[in-house]
Amino acid sequence: MSRASSLKKWPGWVLLVFVVAGFLAYGATRDAGARTPEERVQEITKRLACPVCDGESVYESANSASAAIRAEVKAQVTTTGATDDEIVAYIVQQFGAKTQLLPKATGFESLVWVLPAVAFVCAAVGLFFAFRRWRTNVDTVPDDEDRAMVAAALAADDEPPPAEPPPVEPGDHP
Amino acid sequence: MADDTRDVKKRRLAPYIALAAAAVLGGLFWVLASSSSGTVDKLGVIESPLLGRPAPTVRSTTLDDTPIDLARRKGSWVVVNFFNSTCAPCRSEHPELVKFVDQQKTLGAQGAEFYTVLQYSDNVDDVKAFFLAAGGTWPIIRDDDGTINVAFGVAQVPETFIIDPSGVVRLRWAGQIDAVTLAQLVQQQRDIYGAS
Amino acid sequence: MLAEGVNGLIGHSALIVGLAASVFGAAALAVGTALKNERVVKAVQAYVWLAFGGAVMAVVIMERALITRDWSVAYVQKVGSVNTPALFNFTALWSALEGSILLWLLLLAMYLAIVARRYRDRMSDPLVAWALVVMFAVTAFFFFLSLGPTDAFRPGPMPPNFNTCCAGPNPLLQNHVLVLFHPPILYLGYVGFTVPFAFAIAALITGRVGEGWLLETRRWALFAWGFLTLGIVLGSWWSYEVLGWGGVWAWDPVENASFLPWLTATAYIHSVLVQERRGMLRVWNISLLVATFSLTILGTFLTRSGVINSVHAFSGGSVGPYLLGAFGVVVAGSLILIAWRGDRLRSPGAIDSPISREGAFLANNVIFSLFAFVILLGTVFPLIVEAKDNRRIAVGSPFFDTMGQPIGLVLLFLMAVAPVLPWRKASLELLRERLFWPAWCGAGALVLSVVLGATDFTPLLAFFLAGFAAGSALRQLALATRRQGYRGLLGRANGGMIVHLGVIMIAVGLAASNSYTRSAEFSMTKGQTVQFAGHTFRLDDVVDFKTDRSVGIKALVTLDGGQAYAPAITKFTAQGMDVGTPSVKTGFAGDIYLSLDNGAKPSTGTAKVKIFIKPLIVWLWVGGMLCAVGTVLAAFPGRFRRKPTDPVSAPVPLDEQVVAAESSNG
Repeated sequence: MSRASSLKKWPGWVLLVFVVAGFLAYGATRDAGARTPEERVQEITKRLACPVCDGESVYESANSASAAIRAEVKAQVTTTGATDDEIVAYIVQQFGAKTQLLPKATGFESLVWVLPAVAFVCAAVGLFFAFRRWRTNVDTVPDDEDRAMVAAALAADDEPPPAEPPPVEPGDHP
Repeated sequence: MADDTRDVKKRRLAPYIALAAAAVLGGLFWVLASSSSGTVDKLGVIESPLLGRPAPTVRSTTLDDTPIDLARRKGSWVVVNFFNSTCAPCRSEHPELVKFVDQQKTLGAQGAEFYTVLQYSDNVDDVKAFFLAAGGTWPIIRDDDGTINVAFGVAQVPETFIIDPSGVVRLRWAGQIDAVTLAQLVQQQRDIYGAS
Repeated sequence: MLAEGVNGLIGHSALIVGLAASVFGAAALAVGTALKNERVVKAVQAYVWLAFGGAVMAVVIMERALITRDWSVAYVQKVGSVNTPALFNFTALWSALEGSILLWLLLLAMYLAIVARRYRDRMSDPLVAWALVVMFAVTAFFFFLSLGPTDAFRPGPMPPNFNTCCAGPNPLLQNHVLVLFHPPILYLGYVGFTVPFAFAIAALITGRVGEGWLLETRRWALFAWGFLTLGIVLGSWWSYEVLGWGGVWAWDPVENASFLPWLTATAYIHSVLVQERRGMLRVWNISLLVATFSLTILGTFLTRSGVINSVHAFSGGSVGPYLLGAFGVVVAGSLILIAWRGDRLRSPGAIDSPISREGAFLANNVIFSLFAFVILLGTVFPLIVEAKDNRRIAVGSPFFDTMGQPIGLVLLFLMAVAPVLPWRKASLELLRERLFWPAWCGAGALVLSVVLGATDFTPLLAFFLAGFAAGSALRQLALATRRQGYRGLLGRANGGMIVHLGVIMIAVGLAASNSYTRSAEFSMTKGQTVQFAGHTFRLDDVVDFKTDRSVGIKALVTLDGGQAYAPAITKFTAQGMDVGTPSVKTGFAGDIYLSLDNGAKPSTGTAKVKIFIKPLIVWLWVGGMLCAVGTVLAAFPGRFRRKPTDPVSAPVPLDEQVVAAESSNG
C-alpha cells in the first residue's frame, strides 16, 4: 500500500498538473476549423436583439423584422468580407441601440456589469472576514466564566418547566 | 470580556446587512411598481441615421413584376411608405394615403411621387386583394429578401420616409399618418430644401 | 347577452366555497391556537377538505366546459376551439392566464390537504397550526385571484363571435405531448415550496427556530426541488423539440423566473445540513426559504403582469398589482419576523475552518445567492433603465452566458471537492489523499475530449472539472456500496451523489452543445444530396399537407441513406401563425437536427434546409432523469431518524461515529 500512498503525495499530483495543463493548452490552441456561413450568421444574430420584441435575440425570434435582418446578415456574410463586429455595428446603426443585446460598458447601462462585480467582491471579502472572525473567536477551552454560566443554567432547571423548550446552550455539541 | 466583544461585533453587522437587503428589495419593488406594461410605440417624426444622407438603393420589382429603381426618380420629391397587409394601422391609414396621392396629382409636375414598399414575407396575394378593395394605384415594391427594409432600418410598420429630389432622406415618420399632416410635412421640407 | 351558464355558476360557487373555507380556516386556526382551544383546532380539518373540494370542483368544471365546448364561459372562448384534438383541449386548461391560476390553486389546495392530513395528530402544536394558517392564507389569496382579477368563469359574449374568438390555444401549445407534462410538473415544484416556507414562518412566529422542524421540511423542499428540476428540464426539451432554432435555453425572463427559485432552493437543501449537524447558518436557511417562495411569487408576477414581454408570458389581465402586492407583503413580513427573532437565530457555534464541509456549504450559499442576484439583475435591468431613462434596452443571452460560465465552473469545482470534506476541519494531506483518484478522473475526461477533437479553453476546463466532480461522486458511492451493499445507494448522501452525477451530465451536455454545435444551410432541389459533418442528406421530396387545423409544407430528407426525416412549416389557419416543426435524430454522441426555412416550394421541389449537428444533447435529458431518480433515492429515510421535536444539537448516535471514523481512513 505504501507505493500507492506515496504516489498520492507530491509526485502523483505534480504529474497530474502537468498532464492537465498540457492537454488544456494543446486543446485550447488547436484550430477548430473554419466556420460555415450559417454558423457565422448564428453567432452574429445571437448578438443582436430583435427590434420589436423585448429581449429576444434576432437568432431566436420568428418575427418578420428579425427574418429580414437575418437575411441581410446572411447576404453580408456571404458576399462582403465584413467581420462579425462590422456587421453587428451596421445593424445597430440602422435600427438603433435597442438592437444591441449586450448592454454597453459605459454610462448607466454599465451598472449591469458593475453590480455583479461589486457583489462578488463584497461576497468574497465577507467570507474572508467571517472565516477569520470565527477562527479567532473559537474558544475551545472552557474558562471559569463558561463554567459559571453552565452552573447558573443548571440551577434554573430546578424551576417549573417553561412554556417553550429551553434554548440550545453553547458547548452542547459532540 | 471576550464574550462581550463577540456579541458586540455580531450585533453591529446584522442590522447593516438587513438594511442593505431591505433597501435593495425596496428598490426592486419600486421599479416593478412603476413600470408600465407593454411597449409604447413611437408615433411621429423620429430619428434616423439616414437623415441628411443619400437614400439606400431601392432596386426591386413591383407587384406586376416590372423592375423599378428609385434612383431613376431623382428630380422629384419621393414619399416611401412601408406597409404590411396584416398590420392594422397600415390598413387604417390607407384611405388617407389615397387622399394624399390624389392631392399631389393635382399639383402636377410639382407633386411628390408615392411608393409603397412591402415587408419581408408579406403575402403578395393578400396585398393585391387589399389594394383592389381599398384603392390605390401607385407602384407597390416587393422586398422579398428584406434588404430594403433593413437598409431603411424599418422594424415596425407603418413608416413613411420623405426623400428630396437629389435622393437625400429628409424625414422619417413612424406610425399612422393622415393626408393633411403628410402634405404639410412634404411642403415643409420643400420650403427648407427648395424644389428643383 | 352575458348570461352565466351552469358551468360558470358551479365554478364560481366552488371558488367562493374554497375562499370562505380558507379564510375561515385561517381565522379559526389562529384564534384556536392563541386561545389553546383544542376543539376549534380539530374542526379545522373540515375547512381543509372544503377548500380542497372547492379547488378540485373548479378545475373539473372548467375541464368539463372545455370538453363540451361551453362557449358561455369566456375562458373557453379564449382557448377552446371546435377542432382542437382531445389531448390539447384538455391541456388548454393551463394554456392561458386564468386557467393557469386554477392549476396553481388545485396544486396548492392539494398540498394543503396533504399537510393537514399528515400532521393531523400534531395540530395542537402551535408550530404546525401556524404553518397551516400560512398555507390557508396563501390558498385564500389564490382563491381571491381566481374569483377577481383572473376570473376564469367569467361569462363570455353570447353568441360567440367566431371571427374573433374560439381559435383554440396558441399553436405552439398544440404541437407536442410535452404540454401535458411540463406545466403541471413545473407547478408541482413551484407550489411545493409553499410548504417549507409556511413552516419557516411558523417557526419564526413561535420562536422555535432551534428545533428539527426545518429538517422535516427538508424532505418537502426536496420533493418540490425535484419536481422543479424535472419541470425545467422538460421545458428545455420541449423548446428544443418544437422551436426551430435548435437551442435549449434562451435566458428568457420567464425561464429565468423558474430558474431563480431553483437556485435558492438548491442552496437551501445543502445548507440545512449544516443546521442539522452544527446548528449553524440558521439565518441563511430561513432567508433562503423565504427567498425561494418570494421568487416564485415574483416569477408569477413577471410572467403575468406584462411588464416584461416574452414569448412565454401570459397576456392580458390586471393581476399584476395583486401579485406585486403579495410579493411585497411576503418579503416585508418575513424580514420583520427575522428581525424580531434575530437573537434566537444567532447560532452558538462557529465554523472552524474554511476547508471543511461547513465552509464549503457556506461558500455554496454565497455562490448560489450571487448567481441568483446576477440573473435577477439581468432580468429586471431593462425595467430599471426604462424607469430612469425612459428607453428600452435588451439584456439577453450574451450577458447571462458571460456571467453564468465562470459561476458554473466554480460550482463544478465545489461539487468536486466538497463531498470528500469532513465536518469541522480538513487537512491538506487528507484532501490530497481523497481527491487523488477523482482528479485523475478529471484528467482522463480532459484527455478523452481532446482526443475526440474538442477545442477551446472554457469547455475543456469544464470537462476536466466535470470529470473531477464525477470522480468525487462515484468515490462516495463506491465507498457507500462497499460498506452497505444496495443500501449504499439510498438515503440522503448517496441519493445526493446520484443527483450530482445528473447535474454533471447536464453541465457536460450544455458545455458541449454550446461550444461545438455545427450548422449549415443548404438550398436543395428534389433528388439532390449534400454532405455535411460526415453525413449525407438527400432531399427526396417537398410536399404539401393538410389537417383540419392547419396547412403546411414538409421536406422529406433521407439521412445517410437510411431513415427519412420530415422537417415542416405548419400554418395554423385559425390563428394565422406559422410554426416550424424540426425533425431530430437523437443519438448518444449527438443529435442531427433538421429544420425547414421559409420559401420551400412543392411545385419546383426546392427547399432550404438547415442542418444542426448538436453534440451530447441527449446527456441533458438523461442527466435530468438521473436527477429525478437521485431525488427519489435521497428521500429514503436513513438509518438514524431524528424526531422532529428533538433539539437540533442532540448527539449523533454512536454507530455513525464509528462509520465516520472508518470512512476517514478510506
